[in-house]
Amino acid sequence: MGVRETQKLETRRKVLESARDLFNEIGYEETTIRAVAERAGVSVGSVFTTFASKAEVLSQVMDDRVEALQVELERVAKHMRGSTLDRLCSLFAIHYDFECRRVRLFLAHIAASYSPSLDGGTVPYGRNAQFRTMILDMLAEGVERGEVCKNADLELTLDTLMAAYAWNYRLAACDGADHAALTSIMDRQIRLIFSGLEPR
Amino acid sequence: MNHIPMRMHAPAIRPQKMTRRALAKQQTREKVLQAARDLFIERGYEGATIRDIARAAGMSTGAVFASFADKNELFDAILNDDFAELAEPMRDAITGAVTARDALVGMFGAAYRAHSSQLPLIQAALAASWTRTPEAERLRRESMRPIRSLVSDVLDRAVERGELNQRFDLRLIAEMIWDMFLAGYRPAAFDGLSVENQTEKLAERIDVILSAIKA
Repeated sequence: MGVRETQKLETRRKVLESARDLFNEIGYEETTIRAVAERAGVSVGSVFTTFASKAEVLSQVMDDRVEALQVELERVAKHMRGSTLDRLCSLFAIHYDFECRRVRLFLAHIAASYSPSLDGGTVPYGRNAQFRTMILDMLAEGVERGEVCKNADLELTLDTLMAAYAWNYRLAACDGADHAALTSIMDRQIRLIFSGLEPR
Repeated sequence: MNHIPMRMHAPAIRPQKMTRRALAKQQTREKVLQAARDLFIERGYEGATIRDIARAAGMSTGAVFASFADKNELFDAILNDDFAELAEPMRDAITGAVTARDALVGMFGAAYRAHSSQLPLIQAALAASWTRTPEAERLRRESMRPIRSLVSDVLDRAVERGELNQRFDLRLIAEMIWDMFLAGYRPAAFDGLSVENQTEKLAERIDVILSAIKA
């Protein structure tokens, strides 16, 4: 890799790290690209040569986090035992635990997915293919094991679970609920949804 | 099956006689709200400044700040009004619905329809709502209480009729359904769904939840 390429990657890394911290510390709305550049020790112009907008920076920050979470999930997934229901509960619990470490960042991520002017270059909440596949696989396995009704619409179940998962963060946004509180309400919701999926 | 029209519970609101000053203040407030609404729709939340809004309303920036502390507060006031106005069409939609599903889908469909002409504004407001202060959130909950409680009313009556199983936590379910309703504003933003599609999608999710608690 040439010196220029290395420098470019280094700028990118610094920008993403600064943005991640600022979004979480002072909030997405309040964070300006200038503040990000300042913290990263780069020029405003160089931020804009890498990213088209603040929304794109946020999207990239979240994308990078997904990789870290994915590593964590794969490590744990091997050891997951029990029913499909139990494993789904664990899966969402891991998500809450992970995202609550930087909860304002994640709130900004959910918020962005409601924005009427979503940038083409962003991956809004709920569109991450890896997560969707992981949960769909779990549900499909549940069908094989005879724990989930074979007529169940798995995509729809997934969407319902994902919506419930996201909106529980509401409690973190306004009541300061922590990951344990969010996990416990999600457990109840998964249980409820599952009671409608039982094979008949 | 006996349906009591929900409307009967609505309190009769009689505007009190206002002093001239209070009246002028309210008129200013309404003018600001209208100008802000137009500009937000035209330019989006970020694109409309308090100065623009004041100019469009034909008053000074100071006069705007006399009614609203900042742009956030102004924006919240618009959103809260928009949701408060849903109460009537939603109640109307419930009247005559036979099943809990019909009532829920009907009332939320009415809400989506009522908001369809200003969807970007509602979406921007919902996006902003994730990062507001606890006080702003308290006000929002207050303004949504009348329509939120409609969900519980529908579920309660369905349990009374024996349509839904009473052994489930109805509060949890009401909240889930409410969240699904708000979540329904999102795919519309992303996929450009029509109001019908939006309602249909919500109906499917409501079915997922209701099928779990069928009696």
